[in-house]
Order: sequence, then C-alpha cells, then structure tokens
Amino acid sequence: MKSWLSQQVLTHPKRLIIVNVLFTILFAYGLKWLVIDDNFMNMLPKDIESRRVWEEVETEFGSSEMMFIAFGNSGKSIYHQESFKTVWDLTELLEKSPFVDEVISISSMNRMESDDGFMEVDDLQSERILSTEAIQDIKKYLDKNPDIKARVIGKSGDFMSLAVRPIDNEVTLFTNDVLAVTKALLTDYEVHYAGTSYITGVVPEIIQKDVSSLMGIGIIIMVIMLLANLRNISAVAMVMLIIMMSMVSMLGSMGWIFHLTGIEYFHFTMMNTSMPIVLLTIANSDGVHFITRFFREVRKKGNVNEAVTTSLNALFLPIFLTSLTTAVAFMTLISSPIKHMTGYGIAIAFGILWAWILSITILPSIIVLKKWDLNSAALSQSSYLERWIEKLGQKIIMVPKRVLTFGAVLVFIVSFGLWKVNVEVNVIKFFKPGNPIRESSEFIDRELTGSMSLLFKCTGDMKDPHVLNDMLLIQEKAESFPQSNTSISIADVIKSMHKVVMDDDPKYETIPETRGKINNLFTMYSISGDPDDFSSLVDYNYETGLITSLLNSISTNESVEMVTELESFIEKNVTSDLEIKISGMVVFLRDFVDLVVRSSFISIGLSIIIIFIIAWIFFGSFRWGLLSVIPLVSAIILNFGLMGHFEVHLSHMTALLTSIIIGVGVDFAIHYIAEFRRNSRRGYSIDEVSVKTTEDVGYPILLDVASNMGFAALLFSALIPLNYMGGLMVFAMISTSLGTLTLLATIVEIFKKHLYNK
Amino acid sequence: MKIIKLIFMSILFQSLFALTGIELAQLVDDRESPKDMKSNMSMVLTNKNGKTRTSKIRSYSKDDNKKQILWFLAPADDKGVAYLKIEHENKNDDMKLWLPNFKKIRRISSRKKSESFMGSDMSYEDMTSRNMDEYTYSISGEEIINNEDCYILESVPNGIKTEYSKHKSWITKDTHLPIKEESYDKNGKLLKSKSIIYQQIKEYNIMKELHVKNVQRNHQTILKFDNIEVDSGIKDNIFHEKNLKRMPK
Repeated sequence: MKSWLSQQVLTHPKRLIIVNVLFTILFAYGLKWLVIDDNFMNMLPKDIESRRVWEEVETEFGSSEMMFIAFGNSGKSIYHQESFKTVWDLTELLEKSPFVDEVISISSMNRMESDDGFMEVDDLQSERILSTEAIQDIKKYLDKNPDIKARVIGKSGDFMSLAVRPIDNEVTLFTNDVLAVTKALLTDYEVHYAGTSYITGVVPEIIQKDVSSLMGIGIIIMVIMLLANLRNISAVAMVMLIIMMSMVSMLGSMGWIFHLTGIEYFHFTMMNTSMPIVLLTIANSDGVHFITRFFREVRKKGNVNEAVTTSLNALFLPIFLTSLTTAVAFMTLISSPIKHMTGYGIAIAFGILWAWILSITILPSIIVLKKWDLNSAALSQSSYLERWIEKLGQKIIMVPKRVLTFGAVLVFIVSFGLWKVNVEVNVIKFFKPGNPIRESSEFIDRELTGSMSLLFKCTGDMKDPHVLNDMLLIQEKAESFPQSNTSISIADVIKSMHKVVMDDDPKYETIPETRGKINNLFTMYSISGDPDDFSSLVDYNYETGLITSLLNSISTNESVEMVTELESFIEKNVTSDLEIKISGMVVFLRDFVDLVVRSSFISIGLSIIIIFIIAWIFFGSFRWGLLSVIPLVSAIILNFGLMGHFEVHLSHMTALLTSIIIGVGVDFAIHYIAEFRRNSRRGYSIDEVSVKTTEDVGYPILLDVASNMGFAALLFSALIPLNYMGGLMVFAMISTSLGTLTLLATIVEIFKKHLYNK
Repeated sequence: MKIIKLIFMSILFQSLFALTGIELAQLVDDRESPKDMKSNMSMVLTNKNGKTRTSKIRSYSKDDNKKQILWFLAPADDKGVAYLKIEHENKNDDMKLWLPNFKKIRRISSRKKSESFMGSDMSYEDMTSRNMDEYTYSISGEEIINNEDCYILESVPNGIKTEYSKHKSWITKDTHLPIKEESYDKNGKLLKSKSIIYQQIKEYNIMKELHVKNVQRNHQTILKFDNIEVDSGIKDNIFHEKNLKRMPK
C-alpha cells in the first residue's frame, strides 16, 4: 500500500490532485443542504423525566421561560405619563409579533376589585395617555396588591417590567424580534433584559460572532507560527490547503447526510461550533508532521522524490493510526445524551479521515510538483525550535528517572483534586462579571421578581379547598428560600376573588371552605372577566394547576438543595390528593448536566480503551498499547485534578469539551511510539534510539502545539464556555505533548530493553 | 346594434337598481324579531387541546336581548347560578349574579367589551347588535354558501371603540339572514369565524345553532337552542333579581 501510494505520488501527482479536488468539491457541494440551527432548545434531550414534566407543563400552560424587560431611569419615578404611554405602545407592538404568545405588563393586566357592591374586572391601564389622577389610582391599586406590583414595578419604583412569553421554542427568532421592537422604542430609557428564553436566544449569536472573530485571530497566529518555523510560504500554504479542504468536506458531509437521511442531528448547532477548531488542529497536525518530515529528509537526501518517499514510508502508519484513533474517539460521542453530538462525532470523524487521505495524497503530490530551492534556509538549515527540541530531548533522555519521577509525582499530587471536582452550572455565570447580560440579569433578580422559575405541576381537583390550601402551603415554603422572590398559582386568584366577593374584607382573603363556593367564584369570573386570564394557572378542566415560583438566577446545586427540601416538605405536609411534580428549566438543567457529565466520563473512558486496543493491534504489543494512552491519561488527570484544586466547577460544557479535546491530544504518543519502533528497526542502537526518536518527532509535535496556541484567543471571549474551549484546547495540547516528550519518552528510555525492536 | 343597446340597458338597469351596502345592512336590521323568547341553550366550548366544557342554560330574553335572565342547569357545579342583564341607553348595563353557595347576589361589571362572554368565543360586543350609524357598509361580492345565494357585506367601524377592524358577512339574498361572518382584528388578521343555522318559528327566522371559532386562539364555541318559544308574553318583572334565586315554573 505504502509503495503503491509512493509510486502514484511520484508518477501521477496531477491525477491524484485532480481526483482529490473533485472529491472535495463533491463533499463541499453538501454545504448547500447544511442547516444552521441556532435554537438551543432543539439540542436538549427529551427523554429526561424533568423535561417530560416541563413539556407537559408548557403544552398545557404555555412556555414557562419568559423574557423579562425592565425599563426606566435610575432614581426617577416610573409613575409618569410617558412611561405608561411607552409600556402601552411596547405591549401592543410585542403582542403583534408572530413569536410572542403573551405580554404581561401594566397595560395588559386586569384589576379586580370590589367597588360599592360591584365586582369589577377592568384593565389596570385603561388608556394609552393617562391623567395624573389615573396614574395615582394605578399606584394605589398596586400598593394595595404587592404581589402584582412586584411583577411590573421595580422595588425602587424607578423601573417598569414586562414579561414576554414566547409562542413556542423558537427562542432565537423570538429574542431577535423582541429586541428589535424594544431597542427602537426604548431609546430614552435604561433597559435591562433577562430570562432563560432571552439568554438562550442571544447566546448562539454571541458564540458565532466570538468564535468567528477569535478563531480568525487563532488562524492568523497559526500561520505566523508556521511561517516563523517552516520559513517557506508554499509549505504553510500547503498545510492551510489541507485544513481548508478537510474543513469544507466535513461541513459538506453534514449537509449531504442530512439531505440523504433527513436526520436533524446533522444540523450545525451551537454545540458544533467547536468542530472547525478541532478539525483545524487535527488537520494542521497531519500537515505539519508531513511537511517537517519532508524538510528533514530533503535536507539529508538532497532529493525531493526520495524525501517524499521516505516521509510517506515513515508517516503512513502513524498518521493513519492517529486519524483512526481520533476518529473512533469522536465516534464514541454517539453515546452522548445530546443527540446532536451523534452528528458531531460522525461528521468530524469523516473530516479527520479525509484530512488523513489529503495529507498522504494531495500534499506529497503538490510537493513533488513544486520546484524547491534546495539551498534555501528552510530546506538547508534547521529552525530555532528544531534545534532547541533536539537539545531538550537529549537532556530529558539523559536523566529519565528524574524527569519521570517529577512527572509522576506531579500527576499524583494533582490527582487528589479529582475528589474535589464539583459539578455546578449557573447559566448566568456563563458570562464574565461586568458583562451587560449578566449585570442585567442581576438587576432583574435584585429589583424585580427574578429571571428564573421553578414549576410545580399540581394534579388534583382545583376546586377542592383542601387541594388549594395545600398549594398555598407549598407556595409559602417555596417563598421561604432566600433565592425565591414570589410565587403565583390559581389559589392566589381564588383568595383575591373571595375577598372581592366578600366586599373587600381582608379576613376573607382565604380559600373558601366549600367546593361549591370556589366553583361560584370561577363562574363569576367567567362572566365578568376573561377565563383565559387563568390559562397559565389552571387547565381547562380544573384538573391540573401550576405553581410558578419566581427565583433569582440559581445554580444547579442550589436547585438540588431547594428541590430536595421542597420534596421532603411536600411528602410530610401535603395531606390532600394532590400529586406534585417539580420541574422547569432549572430542574431540567440539573438532571441534564448530571447526565452529560456522566456520559462524558463514559465517553472519555471508552475513548481511552479504544485507543489502547487500536494501538495494541497495530503495534502488535500490549505494552505499546498501554504506553500509547499514558500521556492522555495523565493529561486528563491533570485537567480534572487542577479543576478540583482551583475550584473550577465542572459543567456539562467542560465535561463535553474535555471528551472532545481528547481526540486532539491522542496523536503525539502514537507518533512517538511509531517513530521509536521504526528507528529501532532501522539500525539505530538501543542507546541512541530514544534521542533519535525525540529529534524526529519532537519538532513536529512542538510546532503543532505552538501553531495551535492562537486558540488562546478564545480566552478573551465574553462567554466563559468559549474561554473553556480555548483554555482546554491550549491545555490539552501542552499537557499531551509534554506528557509524550517527558513521561512517555522517559518510560520508553527506562524500559528500552523490553521495548527495543518490539 | 340591438344587442349592444340591450347590454347597455341591462348594465344601466343593474347599476340604477343594485343594492348598496347600507341598504343591505338596513334590510338585515329591519328583519322581524320576536318581542320575547324563551329557550334552552347548550354551550360546548372546545380549547386548542381538544378539551371541552359543556353548559346547559335556561334563557329568557326580551326587547332584542336588552333584557336577559339566565339560569344555569348544568354542569352540576354551576347548577343554581343565575345571571341577569338589563341594558341601558345612557348608563352602564346592570349585571347581577346569584351565587347560591355564598347566598349572595353580586353586581358585576366588565368595562371591557372585548371580554369573552362566559368563557365562550363570543364577546359582549359580539352579543350586542351593531348600531347602523357606527359602520360604513359595502357589498364586496356574491357567493353561494350551503346552496344559498349570498351577498358579501363588509362593515368597517367608523372610529368607535371595538376589537375589530372589519366584518365580512354572508347575507342570503332572499331572506337577508347572515349565515356566515368573518371578523378581523385591528391588524387586519382573521380573528373569528362564525356560521349560523336558522329555523322558522312563526314568522321569524330564529337562530338554532351558532358555531364560533376564534382562529387565533384555536378555541371553538357551539351554541344550540331548543325548546324555543317566541312571543309568549314574558312580563318585565321577570327580569328582577328576586327571580335569580329561583327559576319561574
């Protein structure tokens, strides 16, 4: 195979180039069908119990994840004609949006009161332009009803709030539409936005913007690093060509698969944002290894064709093995609970294998066709990095036990951090402190009723006084948590109606004692008000009710504590036939994060086992199989151990990214082992083989690492998940390369007698 | 030449004697209606998820529904609840409700004419007859609906406070009965669609079935009337709050 390929490259380079370009064009044609899906909700698995309950709630009562808009001017009273005019206009405009289901604001709310024997249901704000008396009247009503006031007026009285309910889960379109309306209308006010639907709506766009700009910087740095070391523009252009061709083929393959199968896991979602970065790194690695090897060989042999043949012979197996192991490692993502990761794994595996084919066909063919100046500095002299790694390699090999002991002790100490790793997600903390989105959410948490919600789906007879009293009991308990601001249910409305029907006597602000009375209140409201007003509180047949507890932005751990305590409270205190299920985004997120973290660890474990088996089979030795995973395992221990020591919480993002980035880090060990075996068979003595191996692979490994350091630019993103992506990428490259050139190299040196010629 | 003259005369005749929108609206408005009416009404509400609620009501009304008293017969939960409405020209309507479990009559008020009536897809505005002066009428076409030859009458409100921007009514050419209507919201989007079936009682065409669908909420109401008696001589004192507590025999 190797010799056939070498012959094809040397005799028919143009044919190979044309065939590969045609195939790339064919794959890239699939871009036509590539669907970019930036709806975060589509990525979430539907077979988790809390998601099922959450969906049942949303089907019956409408979307639970509202977008909150607060506007006003700090220190200036909001009870002003202009503010009421604005909220009226804003409500009307938002209600017209095809993505908006409901707007809750002063101008859309009803007031219900008893007036001289009348039970009156009317608009809270009856007209667009209000007189001073009418504004004072509204203020008086709100002061009398603090729960209603908390939902529409800020604590300091200088902000007004609207809660906007999306019509379905099209959060991106919804958020964009709402933002367009508000930004045009609220030019004279300070505006704050919050809510899960808002965050999930804006995050994909921020990620896309940040990734494209910061990745651009990363690529520029990569080109500069390659140019500085390879010192040849054509060589850098060849590496970049392999990267670009494999990238368009990978994305095109997603389009093709979706076109042919209709499976939407092959949509390009927010989760797939890291794909181009990961493939770029892997394809760069293939190209860099081949080009540096070619330069090294041409320097020795002085003949391009001979150098290409030798490079192909030397790298055919390692590049194949690194591509295979990486592709298989990515394929383990099929087991992820996020089904879109199936598409991710398959498409990136395809991209990796195509990058391998391009690296061993089109790259040597172009090299053969190009007229090289053999006297140029790039081809005749080693680069600074090359000379430095040769010296470093010799030093490491001279004191293998010391280096190994240092490395092993370091990994051992850091490994204690593994027990300190804490799984924790707070969506709002995805943004750095000071970020406007985080500050706005914190403002709404502080000044209004908070931007998150906990939902209690209550199944039972909603006209039964015992049931309604139990609901009030749960609300009281929920409101006792410091993270909770207020709660609302049909029981609150029944209490208010009871008071109103009993001539506004506060002692009747209770649940009536009989079912018949409660039914009379519902009938009364159906005649004097719109029963749709209750549609977000009770179902059509009064069999299911919803308690919504409005919370500040809380983390998954806080939600676990709250839900556990509430469940135990319900178990002990609810005595009616009420069946209660607690859900909502925050509960779902808790279950989801746990699931993703667990499955990511399974994926990491599975990847290591698969890599070990492949290396064992292809190197024909159990020992080599075991050694091939040492740098990777130590890098994983360092990664999670350091997270534990430095109290960096493990989230579904970090867990998933780590399992992805494993694929990037596996290559170095395989290159090292393949080169060691090759050198030991090529006649290098047992004492010089390690030094020779480090000289041969050390430079491409470090050049690969150096050229990928540009991705540290992602650390400058406003979004912490992107910081993780950049940080983990850099960390994975450094830790696995150092793991290979220190831990693996020294183990091999120490046990060389058992490994030489094996 | 004779043919051209004939066509010209025919067009002239048609344009001289064609019905205008306001004339058609007047014909609809002038239809004979009973002085009073007793009926049993069943109301089936169906929401977007297909769940239904059914109510049965005994109704007495007089003076074109300006006076109306309703007694709830079913469901069992609502049995005994009664509602009295008396419309006034120059002051707010009187609406009273008997709540048997509280043993109280409460006066109720809804200033919002767009609010739904008893949870149905009919608003108070839908249940009030339109004042001829408050609309501009035009005939926008003709169509055969359920084998009935109809005019399509468009009614556009003249700056009055309403939830609608326009109504399109299908009026039978021979009896001038509206058998279908579409009502559009302020953004010009279809909001409600209604269809009506009549029956002849004495000399009157009385509504037998009304289907209303709120297209935007995907909610539907079907009203059916039976045991209808017209011009039975309902006395004015029936429309008194004392009769809310007990249905007259």
